[in-house]
Amino acid sequence: MASYQKHTDWAADEDAEPELPPDTETTTPDGITTIITWKLDEKGRKVKHTRRVRRKMVTQVVSHAAAERKKWPKRVSRFVSHRIGADGNRFGDDKGRPSGPDRKTTIIGENIHLKIGPVSKAEPVEQEQTAKVPVGKAVVCRLCKGAHFTAKCPYKDQLAALENLELGDEEPAPAAPSGMSGLGARGAGTTGKYVPPSQRGGPGAAGGGESMYRNRDDLPTLRVTSLSLDAEDDDLRALFEPFGRVARANVVRDRETRVSKGFGFVSFDNKANAETALNRMDGFGYDSLIISVSWSQPREQRQG
Amino acid sequence: MKPIILQGHERALTQIVYNAEGDLLFSASKDNIINVWFTSNGERLGTYNGHNGSVWSVACDSQTKYLLSGAADNTMKLWEVSTGKCLKTWEYRTAVKRVAYSADDDLILSITEQRQGQPSVIRIYRIDREAGSSQSDTPLKEIILTGSKATVAVFSPLSDFVITGHENGKVAKYDIKTGEEVKSVSPEDGEGHRAEITDMQLSPDGTYLITSSKDKTARIFDSLNIEEMKVYVTETPLNSACITPVRPYVILGGGQDAMSVTTTSQRAGKFESRFWHKIFEEEVGRVRGHFGPINTLSVHPGGKGYASGSEDGFVRVHWFDDSYFKSRPFGDLEPDLEI
Repeated sequence: MASYQKHTDWAADEDAEPELPPDTETTTPDGITTIITWKLDEKGRKVKHTRRVRRKMVTQVVSHAAAERKKWPKRVSRFVSHRIGADGNRFGDDKGRPSGPDRKTTIIGENIHLKIGPVSKAEPVEQEQTAKVPVGKAVVCRLCKGAHFTAKCPYKDQLAALENLELGDEEPAPAAPSGMSGLGARGAGTTGKYVPPSQRGGPGAAGGGESMYRNRDDLPTLRVTSLSLDAEDDDLRALFEPFGRVARANVVRDRETRVSKGFGFVSFDNKANAETALNRMDGFGYDSLIISVSWSQPREQRQG
Repeated sequence: MKPIILQGHERALTQIVYNAEGDLLFSASKDNIINVWFTSNGERLGTYNGHNGSVWSVACDSQTKYLLSGAADNTMKLWEVSTGKCLKTWEYRTAVKRVAYSADDDLILSITEQRQGQPSVIRIYRIDREAGSSQSDTPLKEIILTGSKATVAVFSPLSDFVITGHENGKVAKYDIKTGEEVKSVSPEDGEGHRAEITDMQLSPDGTYLITSSKDKTARIFDSLNIEEMKVYVTETPLNSACITPVRPYVILGGGQDAMSVTTTSQRAGKFESRFWHKIFEEEVGRVRGHFGPINTLSVHPGGKGYASGSEDGFVRVHWFDDSYFKSRPFGDLEPDLEI
């Protein structure tokens, strides 16, 4: 009876003798390895940890000394090290940690394209200005000529006095002032005042401040189909680079096997360049296939 | 290229260095610890714990046997790379701002800060490569600096001179035997850098060196005569610069001061590693990614990649793509692959 009392909580039974199933590793013919590991969490519950990975053998030639150093952290297999609490030759804060990169300290960043070529400094500035021009023609602020109602003008206070002066003039200021530079030129004395990022570059600038990511659909994008399965992102980029600066080029791949699905997307900075590329590259023979190029449809339109 | 982001530090990075083969990367930070990483996969091998102040500088010997570090707790320490054991501690009256190894692993140097009436001193020690912890306490030579204090220093390729960079922008060369200044380029004569020199790194063969400065320029000096050879003019104060082996580029890193970071947007902050053509002094590329000014740059000794450490506490390790090695930004003007 006493022993029965001990086990009234059915969950406690597991706690008393944690028996973990063995770690398994299975590989399917298409090269995906499924690793299942079992752990106990802080409350003593069993946690199943499944990882699906694709292993790729990469051969690298290193010096003898470097090869010796590679063995330093790997004296004990990863699958037993977390139970026996010791591992290899680690020291300091890493003493006893299993080998392999720790996700707490090491992450892989997003792909960065380093293009070596002359950098023209004026380019990005021009681009931003052209982006601003076509925004909102219907509503024009009487004070600062921005694309919003006069009542909502962020420079209402500073410009009210100036506006009174200008009322008599039939002809407005020659260049529509946009932003802080325009104000500075008019001597509104706003230098040094904090301007929130959303209003920087003038009230006419569209959008809610600066975004960390540019929207995918902002850029003129081409969809390239019947692409060779061997083509990489860089090949695609090289193929379209002659028509102008390519902002992004990517081949669509299977999420798990990383095999190309035979199509990809190329984004240009400039619509005109994208159009020439579309005309010239549609039907172009590439790696024994004839690729076809069309405009990429935005996500929501494709679904509808 | 996909950078490997290492987040092993809680505070700003101060210096990162590759070892001679480029398979390990040492990172020093203001959070008092030194980390060592495998550059191939970003795995951390260990940490060197023991300093009680910001670690300002690290240096590794060519055998990857010993690691040298200088910190704000007024000590310089010698560590065994493979075990993380501290072998030897040298104590001073002021903080150690810079340490360096000579090319033949026989000599080391430390620069101590000028503070509390103490002058800035460069001390050169002889290191016994077999002795481990029993190293000499008495320096081979002490060079007591008058005038502007030294911020950075390297050994000349034959280990007979020390080349220093100073707070006022002076670059000077001192004889190790006599301790005397042999040559210098100083802003007082209207030459060279105009503001504090923040970093100094030798070229792969040691015949020239690059300096970065708060005066927004980086310059290449010949290491024999300290003659200015190239100038790279940027828009932001520079914290670090290095020369890439194999390809004819230099990498510069900087950004405005940590103090004014919060008032500037990331885009305007120029927190990018900037590639300049070494010969033509033209900018050829940028790599973004950091959220704060880049404090330190280091290039893979084989020219296969580079790493940057920033005020934001992250280290980013980059391996160059094929396109980098094939690039010819100025057409056929430039020579084929350098060896």
